Amino acid sequence: MDGAAWSSVGYLLSGMLFYGGIGWLIDRWTGHSALFLPIGLVVGIALSLVLVFVRHGRSS
Amino acid sequence: MTADVQTLASESGCHLFSGCGFPSPGLNVFEFKPIFSIGAFDFTKPMLLALISMLLVIGFFWSAFAKPKMVPRGAQNVGELGYLFVRDNISRETMGKKGDPYVPFLFSIFFFVWVMNVMAIIPFAQFPATSRIAFPASIVGVVYVTYLVLGIKNQGFVGYFKNMMFPPGLPKAIYFLLAPIELLQGLITRPFTMAVRLFANMFAGHMLIVTFSVGAWYLLGFHIGALFSATSFLVVVILTAFELMIQALQAYIITLLAASYISSSLEAEH
Repeated sequence: MDGAAWSSVGYLLSGMLFYGGIGWLIDRWTGHSALFLPIGLVVGIALSLVLVFVRHGRSS
Repeated sequence: MTADVQTLASESGCHLFSGCGFPSPGLNVFEFKPIFSIGAFDFTKPMLLALISMLLVIGFFWSAFAKPKMVPRGAQNVGELGYLFVRDNISRETMGKKGDPYVPFLFSIFFFVWVMNVMAIIPFAQFPATSRIAFPASIVGVVYVTYLVLGIKNQGFVGYFKNMMFPPGLPKAIYFLLAPIELLQGLITRPFTMAVRLFANMFAGHMLIVTFSVGAWYLLGFHIGALFSATSFLVVVILTAFELMIQALQAYIITLLAASYISSSLEAEH
């Protein structure tokens, strides 16, 4: 164990923050109440999972 | 228990069926009247506990390592055990031999945080200083500056951020999507989650123990409440044992994360 499990939480948060934030901005800009925010959150989680896998999953 | 809630419960003789509502502990449990004030600066119990923890750690390891002997005895034995634990299980595990220069730093963090955490269940202290966010935040601040400076020193300013934002072995197109997450992670969420993890664990643990202690006192009386009071008290005992474990675990995790971040600054991941 080298802190990988604990830092993964940070990646998930970062992904959600960044892409959720972009989604929220698009929502504000286009006048939707909550359309792009949830999409952004899901995209963010997906991308940060990719990142967690790249950083920690392939430990060869 | 913490001053306000308990004095409220005990001095007013606040019990079940005595026409008094449950004095449920809230954020007030974490706020203390200043012990003394210098101008606008209030010296409070958490600060006192942090100071005592610092003196305890310094005092103990001073007595352990001031006159080291070839064959360690007494305090030196325990001190070396602690040092070897941090070196072998945290530093070498994450950084290998090149992490050895940073062991004293990690060692100080581990024992300082641990002693502050353990203060939560020491009678009369009974408050983890780390459950005030300022203490974890300032410790993490030191770690943050350390790994940023080390990273820039070892890999160069551009190199460090390049390595942080572009992990090797991915198609070029996807970097466009992933680099912002990496940057956010390295500069903001990393220190944030690190501080909040310690703070929130100690906050919640203290809150649980206080709630069940106040509950045990409130339910006490010569009626059916005594049964629930005993149960509540039993829960306090179990939670205290549980907290003892959490306190050590959280001190270990914050040190482990510090080591892992310093390690990522020493060289790029491959």
